[in-house]
Amino acid sequence: MNVNDIKNLVCAEIDSKADRLIAVAKEILQNPEPGFQEFKTAKTVAREFSSIGIPFEQGIGITGVKGTIMGSDSNGPNVAVMGELDSLKVLGHPHEDSSTSAAHACGHHCQIAMMLGVAMALQAPGVLETLSGRISLMAVPAEEYIDVEYRDNLRREGKIEFLGGKPEFVRHGHLDDVDLAMMTHTSASPESGKISYGGTNNGLVAKSIKFTGKASHAGGAPHMGVNALNAAMIAMSAIHAQRETYRDQDTIRIHPIITRGGVAVSSVPADVRMETYVRGASIEAFLSASEKVDRALRAGALAVGGSVTITTLPGYLPISSSESMLELYVKNAASLVGKESLNKLSHRTGSTDMGDISQLMPVIHPYVEAASGQGHGIDYLVRDYELGVLTGSKAMAMTVVDLMSDGGRKGKSISDGYKPPLTKGEYLALLRGMMREDTYTE
Amino acid sequence: MSDVQDLKKSAWTAIDSRSDWLIDVAKTVLQNPEPGFFEIKTSKYVSRKLEELGISHESGIALTGLKGYLQAATSGPTVAVIGELDSLRVEGHSYSDPETNAAHACGHHCQLGMMLGVAVGLLATGVLEGLAGRVALMALPAEEFIDVEHRYGLHKSGQIEFMAGKQEFIRLGAFDDVDMAMMSHTSLSSEGKFAIGGTSNGHVVKYIKFLGKAAHAGGAPHNGVNALQAAIVALNALNSQRETLRNEDTIRLHGIMTGGGVSVSSVPAEVKYEGRVRGGTTEAINDANEKMDRCLRAGALTVGGQVEIITLPGYMPLINNSTMMDIFSSNASQIVGSEHVRRNPDHLNRGGSTDMGDLSQIIPVIHPYTGAATGAGHGIDYLVDDYIQAVVNPAKAMCATIIELLSSDAQKASKAIADFRPNLSVEGYVAIQRSRLNEEVYNGI
Repeated sequence: MNVNDIKNLVCAEIDSKADRLIAVAKEILQNPEPGFQEFKTAKTVAREFSSIGIPFEQGIGITGVKGTIMGSDSNGPNVAVMGELDSLKVLGHPHEDSSTSAAHACGHHCQIAMMLGVAMALQAPGVLETLSGRISLMAVPAEEYIDVEYRDNLRREGKIEFLGGKPEFVRHGHLDDVDLAMMTHTSASPESGKISYGGTNNGLVAKSIKFTGKASHAGGAPHMGVNALNAAMIAMSAIHAQRETYRDQDTIRIHPIITRGGVAVSSVPADVRMETYVRGASIEAFLSASEKVDRALRAGALAVGGSVTITTLPGYLPISSSESMLELYVKNAASLVGKESLNKLSHRTGSTDMGDISQLMPVIHPYVEAASGQGHGIDYLVRDYELGVLTGSKAMAMTVVDLMSDGGRKGKSISDGYKPPLTKGEYLALLRGMMREDTYTE
Repeated sequence: MSDVQDLKKSAWTAIDSRSDWLIDVAKTVLQNPEPGFFEIKTSKYVSRKLEELGISHESGIALTGLKGYLQAATSGPTVAVIGELDSLRVEGHSYSDPETNAAHACGHHCQLGMMLGVAVGLLATGVLEGLAGRVALMALPAEEFIDVEHRYGLHKSGQIEFMAGKQEFIRLGAFDDVDMAMMSHTSLSSEGKFAIGGTSNGHVVKYIKFLGKAAHAGGAPHNGVNALQAAIVALNALNSQRETLRNEDTIRLHGIMTGGGVSVSSVPAEVKYEGRVRGGTTEAINDANEKMDRCLRAGALTVGGQVEIITLPGYMPLINNSTMMDIFSSNASQIVGSEHVRRNPDHLNRGGSTDMGDLSQIIPVIHPYTGAATGAGHGIDYLVDDYIQAVVNPAKAMCATIIELLSSDAQKASKAIADFRPNLSVEGYVAIQRSRLNEEVYNGI
């Protein structure tokens, strides 16, 4: 069998499992769970792995699941195929869990199905015999960097160290022996084609902020209080006042929310909490912007005579895709949807922890344009499950075949030729160095 | 000795007979507005008018101030009558000087007419002969605390130390031989013909420079540090603290931006702000002033720039002397009818400030209002429309008050002086004001 025959086999296998894969995606859609709380979703993954006889570990980074499929020998690369377990929280999304506001407004439910599609496809009779190395099937928690206060508590309790799933997988050593990684995300720009690839993403740090003032009767004795909400308002104005100092190419994004703004209208707010990201196209850019944000937060506290505690948490690093892997992927994608339906991306200002993985090894992070509506909005809905699950799965499975066939020559060559920006040690040190907690009373 | 009432009648007749002359003085000054420490023409003009009345006087006190005396028959206390020489600056006022925007939008021009009117009354035949003591006729510069940058320059170059007329007069000893003082200020006709009593806000004056770093505002704003953004953050921060100010403290935080950048295409590197922190008590002013300073620093901290905060000693709250008020009220009532004379409660605070407050910490003073204008005080439409009530009636009321104080061997004046417990001595006052001057550079880099 030549490579094309194998690819035909894996695609046929995915088509034959189409109903089951789409059913898994929809099951997860109906049971959205935010990051590090994906217990039901992890069980679904475990159930599916068991049903197709794939050995797996679970409870990695609280809810992560990792299955392994061995090729015919161990000479080839270890290729990770990832799917993200977590949902967002979006009030009013049609598939929102009414008790938690969790909703798959970013299409991660399809990723798990795609990853399972790759697993099933590679187990089609006659396929694994032709592949060298192994495939790590990773269902990773918590890609959406949300619930910062909740996760920071998990961190303080020692349950996690980093607030994203993939950094936790790295920390626990699950990427140590992986050579190449891939995953496919859904997207909602059908006008730009069916599959989008390449490009870069912003990195970020996250901040959990507590303004401390002094409560007093807001009507009777406001002069005895120190208004923490006003400190936050001043800080937000001060953050905005600095936007002109950001370079276009650094694509800085700062977008705070207030998670606690006072407890009684009649009492001067004494404890106000904010969360924000500071994103940027390069590590230097977002760290520099982070300093400006800190100054603005301190200014808010200074103005009212209160204090502010700023907890800065490492977020995600900017992503860059491996051109060599993309070359293989693009050919496979073109054979599925036609060259004219492919779209090369430039810079995107969102962030993903796949960026962290890209600092350590060659990765790709393409998009299937299977959804409509606003990403992270109430109207983000996957419309085309064939594209969102089956085609996405096929393109990855075919690329895995490219990487692992012929003794894993291509996979090894891409891996060997790649100079990672960071070693695992450097990566962990960089993230740990971003973590700070300071209280300012000025 | 003549009967006091006869003396007053003689004085009033003299004032009435020269009312046109007095009103003309006020209107001439109105046409020649000059801001504080710039009152060269006004000072010369008043000097000439004093000469016309044959009153010798000193000039050039605190740059433009004047002081002359009328000596009574026998020795006794000295009562000062004060008129303020300076105008405000109000762009677009009907009588504004088109070059300087100077305009008498606070009615000080009438005060000079009043002060001369008091002199005219006292010079009436027989009046001084019936009194004991002395009357000091004083024209003072710079009651409006404006042009802060300019005045701070005068301070730096040693031409003045304090930045207002009465403050300088006190420091220079020009009040050392004065035992009590009075002046009348115009107010709106709608507030009645005379009002007396109450207090005023004290204040400190802020002269602020936010310092950033210039850069091309389009090409390289990331290389700049925007001083205007620092100022805007600071002023927003200041506004958010207003809820912490107690009503009874009558705090007023306000200011103007006197430099906000020099080219739109260059990131503003220097922004200047002149501000005021007013309040009813020293404690309240200090508290609000600290809040202002915190906000100014917060602005600089935000952008990573600097702020230079110069705090200048401003005015102290006014205390009206009750004996003098009683005498003034009864005389004013004789002139306009008691139903047109209002006595304000002691705690009533109009929100504004006057350096007469400073003097009131040292000697007994009164600072009544005469309702003779329309429009908004310090606004473009503040116009005196009743010159009899603006000049003639207050001159008569003050003249009669002096006659009553200094008649009968200055019995009433002596008692008021003896009963007065000053909050500060001249030396104490000067020391406190000096200590209130503070220069700080906060580095937010």
